[in-house]
Formats: sequence, C-alpha cells, structure tokens
Amino acid sequence: MEPWIVATSLIFVYLLVTIVLGAVANRRLTVDLEDFLLYGRKAGFIVLYLTVVASYHSVFAFLGSGGFFYTHGIGFWAAGTWTILVGAITYVLGSRIWALGKKFRYITPADMLADFYESEGVRVATAVVSVLFTILYIQTQAQGLGYILSVASDGRISIGLGTLILLTVAAGYLVAGGLRAVYWTDVVQGVWMYVAVWVGALVLAFTLFGGPLELWREVAVQRPDLLTLPGPRGFFTPGMWIGMGIALSFGIILQPHMMIRYYSAVDAKTIKWLGATTPIYLMTLYIPAALVGLGGALIIPDLAIPDQVFPELLFRFAPAWLTGMILAGATAAAMSTLDSILHSNMTVLTRDVYQRYVFPEASQAHYVWVGRFIVLGLLGIGYLLSVKTFAFLVTLVTLSGSGALQLMPAVLGVCFPGKRLYTKAGVLWGMGVGLTVLYLTLVVFPNPLGLHGAVWSVLANFAVTILVSRTTRAPSAETVTRIHGEIERFVYGSGG
Amino acid sequence: MGSPGDPGPAPRSHYLPRTREGWIGVVLFLLLFILAEPPIVYTLANRVEPWVLGVPFLYAYLMVIYFALIGVLIWVMRKGV
Repeated sequence: MEPWIVATSLIFVYLLVTIVLGAVANRRLTVDLEDFLLYGRKAGFIVLYLTVVASYHSVFAFLGSGGFFYTHGIGFWAAGTWTILVGAITYVLGSRIWALGKKFRYITPADMLADFYESEGVRVATAVVSVLFTILYIQTQAQGLGYILSVASDGRISIGLGTLILLTVAAGYLVAGGLRAVYWTDVVQGVWMYVAVWVGALVLAFTLFGGPLELWREVAVQRPDLLTLPGPRGFFTPGMWIGMGIALSFGIILQPHMMIRYYSAVDAKTIKWLGATTPIYLMTLYIPAALVGLGGALIIPDLAIPDQVFPELLFRFAPAWLTGMILAGATAAAMSTLDSILHSNMTVLTRDVYQRYVFPEASQAHYVWVGRFIVLGLLGIGYLLSVKTFAFLVTLVTLSGSGALQLMPAVLGVCFPGKRLYTKAGVLWGMGVGLTVLYLTLVVFPNPLGLHGAVWSVLANFAVTILVSRTTRAPSAETVTRIHGEIERFVYGSGG
Repeated sequence: MGSPGDPGPAPRSHYLPRTREGWIGVVLFLLLFILAEPPIVYTLANRVEPWVLGVPFLYAYLMVIYFALIGVLIWVMRKGV
C-alpha cells in the first residue's frame, strides 16, 4: 500500500475517534450553561492535566519547534523556561482564579475583571482582547491542520480542503458535546501527540545516526554553530530569550481558554498539582523536537520552509505506518488547541456579549444553542483567515500570546491583594497603551534594542496602570473586601 | 467607590510569602530560574564542552536546572504552601 494512503487513513481513523467521543459527550450533556461551557466545574486531575498540556502545545510544538531548532539551534531550548513558568503561574495564580470562579460563579475572564473593577468597560475590553488575539490562534492551527493533511496525502488533499475538513470535525464535536467533548478529545490528543513525537524522533535518530547521543556528536562536528547562543543567525539574543519566556508563559496563561480551564477544576488541589506537574510534559516534549530539528539540519539542510523538517524526515526515512501515526499526532496537537480556542471564544461571545447585552433573560437551552451557532460563525472566520496567508507559525503564536499579556496587570490586581489597588481607569489605560506599544514594537520597529516587543508592551502597560491608578477612583471597599477577602481566606484561611 | 489611590481594606500583601516553607520555595525557585536566564546562560553556560552524559554542556545544564525547578514546584505542593 502506498505511504500516503496509510498516512491519510490513520489521520481519518484518529478523526473518527474524536467524532465518537463528541457523540458520547453529547449524550452526557445536560441543558445547563455551566455544564456546556465549564464541564460543570467537575474536571479532575487526569482530564484537566491532559487538556491543559494538549491545549498549550499546539501545532507549533510539532512543526514550529522542530523548525526553530533546525534554523536557530539550541536557543529554542529556552522553551524549558516558559513551560516551567506556566506551571508556576498555574500553581500560584490559577488556584486563585479557580477560588474566585467557584465562589462568585465566574465563567469568563471578563466576569472576574468586570466584577472587581466594577466596570462594563473592563468587561468589553477584556472580551475584545480575549477574542481578537486568539482568532490568530485559530488561523495558525487551521493552517497547520490543512498543511498536515496535505502533506500526509502527498498533495492530493489541498491545504484549503484539509483545513476545512479538520475545522469542521473540531467544530462538530464542540457543538455536540461542549467543553466535555473538548476535554475528552484532548485526553486522547494529549497522549497521542506525546507518544507520537517521542517515537518519531527516536526512530529517526536511530535510523539516521545510530541513536540520540550519536546525533548530538554529529551536530557538534558538522554544525557547532547550532549548539551555542545566540545561534547561527543571531536570533536568540538575551532580549528574545527573556521576551519569549514572558510571552509564551503569562501570555498564554492569560488567554481565555486557559483561564476557563482553571474555572472548570473540581478543586484547588487539582489546580496546584497541575501547576507542579504539567511542566514535566510541556518541557520534555521539546527534547525529541530538538533531535528532529538538529538532526534535520544535517540531513536536509536546504529546506525552504523549516517547519516542514519533521514531516519531510518522516516521509523520506520512516515507515508509512509510523508517518501516519505521527502526522495524526500532529493533527491532535493542532486540533486540541483549536477546539479549546473555538470553545473559549464561543464562551466569551455567548456570556460576555450575547447574554450580557443582547438577550439577558433567555433560558439556559437558548444560550447553549446560541453558543453552537457562534461556533459555526467562528468556523467560517477561521477558515477564511487560514486560507489567506501562511506565515511563520511561531511568530504568529508569539504575537497572539503578547496580546493576551495585556490583561496581566488587571488580573494580578484582582488575584494579588497589595498595598495599592489598581483602578478601572488604570487597567483600561494600561491595556490601551500596552496594545499600542505592542504594535509598535512587534510590527513597526520590531524588538527594539534586541528586547522582545512583549516585554516593552507589558512594561508600558504596568507603568501606565500604576500611574493612572494613583489618581483615579479605586473599586468600592465592599467589592475589594468581598473579592480580596475571599483570596485571603482561600490562601491563608482568614478573612484579612 | 473608594478614593483615589485608596490602599483598600486588605493591606497585607500577597506578593511576599508568609511562611518559612513559602520563603524557601520562592527563593529556591528564583535562584534556579536566574541560572537559566541571561546573563549566566549566555556566558558561563554557553558552551559545548564539557559533554555531560553524551550531550553538549549547555543542553545538559539547562535540563538539570529545569528538572530542579520542577522539583521545587513539587516540594512546595507537598509542603502545602
């Protein structure tokens, strides 16, 4: 049997599994917004662990990271710093977000921020930032999916058609089963992608070099420039190391799909264990990615698109069944992020826009159906965006992460009581200035002084938030006592 | 609404730990994290040799730091901080 038939068939087998899971989740669904949007706040450790890691690691963990090691060398091992920060932030911040969500029945990030800052402006700004920047993620994942299916089928399925097929499947099981379907499919996807990338990298390392250690030796002989910083093209400057660390940790944690995961946990202990242990999965996934990228740089040094290094190596040197299994793993990586973002955008638009401003008194069933129609709308937008361009995957993800990063002062102001309070005017001005600086330092004058635009934007955001908060009205004492008091009780077991 | 710059009713900061285990966890985490950041990672650690267990020094160095950081997180969890 021809390799492309095996590879494509395995991807479709995987898709069938996700469809079945979506159908089963649909049978468990109750007509309740919290059940549809938040898994009824009953997610346990294993389900939450796998959905968090699968959502965090997108198609760029499979394709983009190999491409980065291929082009820039060992500098991408900086990934360890941001994946560990994700764990630490989850431990400290995620558990507080969970506590407030459970106590005050928050569903979206905007629920929490609008409640504390007593501002509909903050609600709208948060919702806009949440949706605007994660739309870029939909585009990235959808493009990755189309690319994977196109590669697997040896070009017989176009990127556009592949994107449409996989987007439709993801939207289909989300519409059917809500967050429960997303979580269940993420469990399969989380396991599949981890096994796939490790098996693929080890098979290639043994086949091409005789083993991983021999691969490292060969890289040192042929391309020693790949083994030190800042890499052959000077990309990984200290400023980029720090900036990517902030953008890809705080920036992703503050995206709505991650914050919603915190709300959905069954208890605080689950969140804390999640924080302590998710870096094991997140960080170790980049160990095989390094083997793929660095090994690929020796074997096929002239690739026009570095992100193609993993599938190219597989098609040239791995058996067809393994290639299919691994490309299905790459599909899993993209779909698990895509479905989470579709879900979170649907949640934000249903809760923060439709329920709040369009039809506030409708039934639970009404909102569930509205959510489903919103997913179909997002499916269309995602498809249109994805067939327009094909930009470098990691850069897009970084831009997305930097956008959500602008919620950082506002979220910290809610979750970390301090001597001074941030105000609604402070956080709104901070977000506005932060986004402006982000545009300037990522698009107009990219990464001034070698420091990533994310760092410039978040520094400007904090400075403005603090300054404006000093001269504008703070939230009422009742609200601060209620919310910070709850944080105090949760963390230290007393009222303040 | 409160007055401008109102310090609010919860004056005890949550940015500083309040227990011995909390301080140990934060200090250990930060010290280890600094070892995985510039300038150290661009100077002392930025080398291929000596090889450590068959991999280049920088790669091995960072991996040790990363696992140590995970160890701190697990220790903090077990201590109930």
